[in-house]
Amino acid sequence: MSEKQVSLVLENVSKSFAKVENDEVTHALNAIDMSLRSGEFVSLVGPSGCGKSTILRLVAGLIMPTTGKITVDGKEITEPSPERGMMFQKSTLFPWLTVEKNIAFSLMMQGKYKGNEKRVAHMLKVIGLESFRDDYPGQLSGGMAQRVALMRSLINEPDILLLDEPLGALDAFTRMNMQDEILKIWQQKGQLALMVTHDVDEAVYMGTRVIVMDSNPGRVVADIKIEEGYPRDRSSAAFVEYRNEILNRLHFGGKK
Amino acid sequence: MSEKITKDMKNNMEKGQLQNLTRQQLKELEEKKKTGWQKALDWLIMILPFACGLAAMLEYWMIPNGSPNDAPYTYVWFLVVLMGAYLVYFVYSAAKKAGGDKTVLDMLRYRAPLLSALFLLLAGYDYLTLKAGILTQPFVPCMNYIINIAWIDRARLIECTLHTLRLLFLGYFIGVALGLVTGITCGYSEKVRYWVNPVIKFLGPIPTSTWIPIVMVVATSLFKGAVFIIALGSWFAVTVASMTGISNVDKDFFEAARTLGASSRQLVFRVAIPHAMPSILQGCTQAMSSACVAIMIAEMMGVKAGLGWYMNWAKSWAAYDKMFAALFVICFIFTVVTKALDLIKRKVLRWQNGVVK
Repeated sequence: MSEKQVSLVLENVSKSFAKVENDEVTHALNAIDMSLRSGEFVSLVGPSGCGKSTILRLVAGLIMPTTGKITVDGKEITEPSPERGMMFQKSTLFPWLTVEKNIAFSLMMQGKYKGNEKRVAHMLKVIGLESFRDDYPGQLSGGMAQRVALMRSLINEPDILLLDEPLGALDAFTRMNMQDEILKIWQQKGQLALMVTHDVDEAVYMGTRVIVMDSNPGRVVADIKIEEGYPRDRSSAAFVEYRNEILNRLHFGGKK
Repeated sequence: MSEKITKDMKNNMEKGQLQNLTRQQLKELEEKKKTGWQKALDWLIMILPFACGLAAMLEYWMIPNGSPNDAPYTYVWFLVVLMGAYLVYFVYSAAKKAGGDKTVLDMLRYRAPLLSALFLLLAGYDYLTLKAGILTQPFVPCMNYIINIAWIDRARLIECTLHTLRLLFLGYFIGVALGLVTGITCGYSEKVRYWVNPVIKFLGPIPTSTWIPIVMVVATSLFKGAVFIIALGSWFAVTVASMTGISNVDKDFFEAARTLGASSRQLVFRVAIPHAMPSILQGCTQAMSSACVAIMIAEMMGVKAGLGWYMNWAKSWAAYDKMFAALFVICFIFTVVTKALDLIKRKVLRWQNGVVK
């Protein structure tokens, strides 16, 4: 379990964007209230345009809310911080740095790389890519690159892990493997994980909680606790039940 | 350890055991086996430069001269040195192959036809000038003349070469340094771009040589004026290239770096600049070629030293052999400089070449 327990609170958060092509404004999020704690794995699902990625970017501090407040332990978020690690759909590994230096990037930025080489080596070992230490990201497969990106965002041991469709671009098998890998890491550290996904199956498989969203304007339509232990069985009755409930909320339900 | 595929390894491979294969061995395995005939042809091509060198020597010695030729041994020695250099290369490559490294010899095989052509070219030139006189002496002097005069006038040639190099690098480095500053700040800051862009748009299309007459009048010293012209051309090339490079940086990289705790300073130096490096170095190469053009024009039009001046001066004394000697020195210098830049580029950008370890 993580040493530090944090709580993330979104209070009445709205975010609007000015459209590029005309004078109109898109309301990506409308009056969102959310309260999340360490130890939770929260999946955000919803159709595209429902603002789920916007929530992640707000929490990361990459953008500021139009109205409302986002706080971590009562402190308002004003800028990105390595305490909130983020992983993107694209690996965004820096192609000019070796795999090792990519993982160490955050440490290098804070001038803490010297003396922490072991941590980087450990990270490489966790994902089994020790032999790729001195290779450049251009030589990695999609799955390997995402593993490295995950370790890069974890090197600082963030209290909050933000996952923006991290497995969206991977093939089905790599994807299922990585779901388990991410879960394993989260279970060891017990951070707060907040993941955006398109995949209802993935949301239920990984989350302790699934927040279902809808668009126009972006809002929360359901907040479902998944009361199942890990590892989960995708074909169990309870799993199917959860999945159907969420699909119904998204208006894709087949049977009642 | 030897890289050669041993019998033992071959046996292992037939059993499907490929674990200990190196990259080079894999390449060898997958290559089509060359037939004996093809191998013989390869060796023949590799000794072809010797044959061509010998042919050049015979051409020089056997065909009677069409015009007088002083100190005739110089050219022979020149050919001998060239052939000697090839011999050293050849022996070195063959030794490497014997030691298991085939790549050096492959490179030699690749270059051999061109080197042969070089000897034939020398022979052809000698025939056209000294022997047949189709290229009239002394307006297009034969190689023996050129080498002789280069040796006789070496003190002045070296002095001029050093002067040219000093001017070239001074102007180039000032231009590149300023270009990096303006290019990177422009690429990064909207405000700076607002003020610098019109200058680039206005000055950019003007060829550097246009400035020379003006600078010669205005500048307090011709040297400073020439430095200014060379720097201006380099500055322009580097500014445009690095500006484009920086403003094309994928915004995802900035976001990723920000979530990893990079400060705005680090975003510039640790993300934007490395990402723009290919473009920046491209600009530096372009700047060098523009600097080379500018320096020759400057030296021919006003500066009273350097190789460009030497050529012009030799022409006015009808010393055509000196003119050609200077031309060869110029060729040599620019080739070396370009090659050096290329090496730096490849070293810095090694992350770009796919699978090279």
